Amino acid sequence: MFIVDCDCHNYWCSATVLEPYMEGLFKDMFVRGERTGPRGAFPHGHRPWFHPEGFARHDVNPVEEDDNYLIMKEKHLDKYNIDVAILTGDEPIEASTLANPYYANALCKAYNDYMIDYWLPKDDRFWGSIVVAPQDPHLAAAEIRRVGSHPRIVQVLVSHGAARPYGDPFYHPIYEACAEMGLPFAMHLGGQGGINANPIGAGPSTFFWETHAILPQTAMTHMASLIAHGVFEKWPSLKVVIIECGVAWVPSVLWRLDANYKALRKETPWLKRLPSEYFKDHIRMSTQPLEQPENIQHLWATLEAMDGENTLMFASDYPHWDYDDVTKLHVPPAWREKIFGLNALDVYTRLPRQAAQAAE
Amino acid sequence: MTTKHFACKADEVPQDAAKIVSVSNMPIGVFRLEDGFHALLNICPHKGAALCEGPVCGTTKQTDATEFVYDRAGEIVRCAWHGWEFDIRSGEFLVDPAVKTRRFDVSVEGSDLYVHI
Repeated sequence: MFIVDCDCHNYWCSATVLEPYMEGLFKDMFVRGERTGPRGAFPHGHRPWFHPEGFARHDVNPVEEDDNYLIMKEKHLDKYNIDVAILTGDEPIEASTLANPYYANALCKAYNDYMIDYWLPKDDRFWGSIVVAPQDPHLAAAEIRRVGSHPRIVQVLVSHGAARPYGDPFYHPIYEACAEMGLPFAMHLGGQGGINANPIGAGPSTFFWETHAILPQTAMTHMASLIAHGVFEKWPSLKVVIIECGVAWVPSVLWRLDANYKALRKETPWLKRLPSEYFKDHIRMSTQPLEQPENIQHLWATLEAMDGENTLMFASDYPHWDYDDVTKLHVPPAWREKIFGLNALDVYTRLPRQAAQAAE
Repeated sequence: MTTKHFACKADEVPQDAAKIVSVSNMPIGVFRLEDGFHALLNICPHKGAALCEGPVCGTTKQTDATEFVYDRAGEIVRCAWHGWEFDIRSGEFLVDPAVKTRRFDVSVEGSDLYVHI
């Protein structure tokens, strides 16, 4: 089976790998300035919840920088016959938490250059995500145009933690650039600190596990906002990928959006279809971490209600603590080929279709 | 084959709201528009609410840009409960014209207004 992993984290041991890709003021800030942690920590506004055990699997213990790839190859790519791994970085999306958008943009640029230089040539299975700092959408758009034509770049990536909902016209320069470069816009769980002050409704929750379970509420806001503001009418070719934000909430939110739109469509006269129809054509959800009810039929009925056969894309989240194993993903058997790989081909149009045929 | 039923006096129908009548045991809303009188079944196809007792108003025209063009003033009734918008002339729901409430022909003879059922 052809397998595309839509969330494969290319780790580093130390963010100092970015130093050769920085210059001037921001390099000085990066090398000598204050940071969240010791030398090698990536500058970001940290969230108020600390994972009690750290994020990474405890059987993934790189010592040298090159170990990060070698362990990934052995324990993930080769072991599960992954055909395509979409690299989603790790800490770089946290640049979205910084108040200084110029520094945040400089960090993202350095990461993108490092990723293109260091990671993409390592393995034919690697395809890259451009990380941008959305707090200055014009700088983000410029970065998308700077590196977006690289043939092995397949999407633009931000954290789902944000200063405001992503449909807001404030962000529209980003979508203009995405549409121009033919790249999907993806958001990945993260960025719940610093200037992104509202990751949880009603104020901060207390424990890490409790918080992690309810963080998808931010993704609900983004989904509603992208649809309501008519982003998919303005850029009809744009696809949005929501990564690691859970899945089973989607139908209930769509039902609510459709019901309210029917009553109050006059607030958003630029929309021409039901919210759920925009979702099905434009938004894709990564599977990990897929909800695990006691009765699998409860989940499958929910997935059916969101056209999961066509809207879900497999993701492992390697090497994080809530990793989903290829062999244990509990989706309906008839949908497996689409969810594991074919749906991704429709979103990441730079992936060669022959790769899928070769894998069959 | 329709039958003509007396509904009300024509001058009882206001300009900005429906006149609610009962004809053949059916609740009906009679509206006065610029081009004459119109009648709709006062039952919303959504949840059965008193559709014709909601506000008579206009709405925003569908656009491509982020703009608000107020249009069709006095030609739309919003269901009294959930606010679904219906075209008074056709009885069609604006979001999905396949959803509609029943409409009736109206005639006026002298000062008497009739609906045809």
